[in-house]
Amino acid sequence: MDVSELKKNAKLEIDGQPWMVTDYQFVKPGKGQGLYKCRIKNMITGSVVDRTWRSGERLEAADVESRQFQYLFGGPAGYTFMDNASYEQIELQPELVGDDYRFLMDQLGVDILFFKGRPVGITLPSHVIMEIVDSEPGVKGDTATNVTKGATVTSGLLVQVPIFLRVGDKIKISTESGNYVERVNS
Amino acid sequence: MFDWPTRVRLWDEALTGARACLRAAGLREVSTPIRVDAPAIEPWIEPIAAGPRHWLATSPELAMKQLLCRGSGSIFQLAHVFRAAERGPRHREEFHLLEWYRTPGELPDVIADVERVVATIFAIVESVIGAASPRAPRRWVRVEMIDLLRETTGFPLVGDESAAEIEPLLARARARAQVRWTADDVDANPSELADLLAWTELFSLWSDLDLDPWLARQDPELGVHVVGFPVMLAALAELDGARAARFESHVCGVELANGYLELRDPHEQRRRFERVAALRRRHGQGELPMPEAFLATLADHGLPACAGVALGFDRLLALAAGCDSLAELALDELG
Repeated sequence: MDVSELKKNAKLEIDGQPWMVTDYQFVKPGKGQGLYKCRIKNMITGSVVDRTWRSGERLEAADVESRQFQYLFGGPAGYTFMDNASYEQIELQPELVGDDYRFLMDQLGVDILFFKGRPVGITLPSHVIMEIVDSEPGVKGDTATNVTKGATVTSGLLVQVPIFLRVGDKIKISTESGNYVERVNS
Repeated sequence: MFDWPTRVRLWDEALTGARACLRAAGLREVSTPIRVDAPAIEPWIEPIAAGPRHWLATSPELAMKQLLCRGSGSIFQLAHVFRAAERGPRHREEFHLLEWYRTPGELPDVIADVERVVATIFAIVESVIGAASPRAPRRWVRVEMIDLLRETTGFPLVGDESAAEIEPLLARARARAQVRWTADDVDANPSELADLLAWTELFSLWSDLDLDPWLARQDPELGVHVVGFPVMLAALAELDGARAARFESHVCGVELANGYLELRDPHEQRRRFERVAALRRRHGQGELPMPEAFLATLADHGLPACAGVALGFDRLLALAAGCDSLAELALDELG
């Protein structure tokens, strides 16, 4: 593609890696060459760099595709997901799933990114709702809202929650920070 | 973002004011065709095709110079012009160029015109939107581009260096701008094309890396004319020793106008078109026909001594109204 077709969210292949344009600015001295000043994010590693292209340059669009899957089962050897459309199952290696394994629970919907047909990354929903499966009871009378205790949720993840929550309560957790957000009424 | 009635009033009064300003200085208004069969051949200005062998004009320059050759006297035009793939807060593919030529005329004459037009438009905008509008430039300075290049880069440039001589400076600019280049960008054989390639690239990178930040550091009420361009950036301007008789005017760090002491020699004119055509081929830009009718008029009638300027009118209006984007006062919905 020609550099003039660049826009935000365009996906490019650079040095064998898929990158996404997260920000771009066009500048041009009247009689000079236009510059496309971009901030690009590596779609696999998440690293962000600034790159500038000049008018006339050719870029390669990245062959990337994001598909919806749901989590089936897994463990330290690998995690198995099912394609929501084709029901095809794939197993992702632990290093690809990284810390995200902490949020994996039965039927959790995720997006898996494919680069040239190969899975290269997984995107979780921004929040997940899980049930508290184990936690010490709160001390009676302690109603201060900023006092927390540890609680284990469905996936085995340990979260700090307000002291008044009990086993069986459902809570919303941020997958970005891993922190408790709020109690969910069910 | 201005409401629609205010935008209409701003445009109405600004168009009227610009015309009155140039007419009062003795220029006549002309209107030349928008669809042309030979646009000016420029390095980084891409015309939009309009039917077989025709394009939308990227500027009215060649048509207006043919009128000058035929004895029009001093003229101006508020032209709709088109440049492909120029999209951004201060760019759009269609915009208004206020272009004028004074004959006889020298650079100081048209530089003074730029200052008057800018002051006129700022005053008009203030009368429409009130004291909230930005202040017009209170004074103007002229800065030699070569001096600024020397000062900002530390390279002892004169202005007529070859590609090989500015290569270290260019390599550093590329690294700072985070652009990559390929062996294709570097012409190993010394030639005018190699020099043109190197200087146009340096100019583009330097404008972004050094000139814009330098302009941003100046007093916002100071207008800046950058004068005395390197030879290879003469475009269609006469040469004056190791420099080109060309200037660019900036207000609040924004480039508004480009002016030349106009090149009159038809042979040199053809040579410059050919050199730029070679550069365009090198960059894979579309082939454009040689503007033969223009060159013939230049040869047959001769271009009278004149100086000319092209000023981005939408930008000036946006600047005078304190808008960061042309969309804020455009007369259409800009996506």
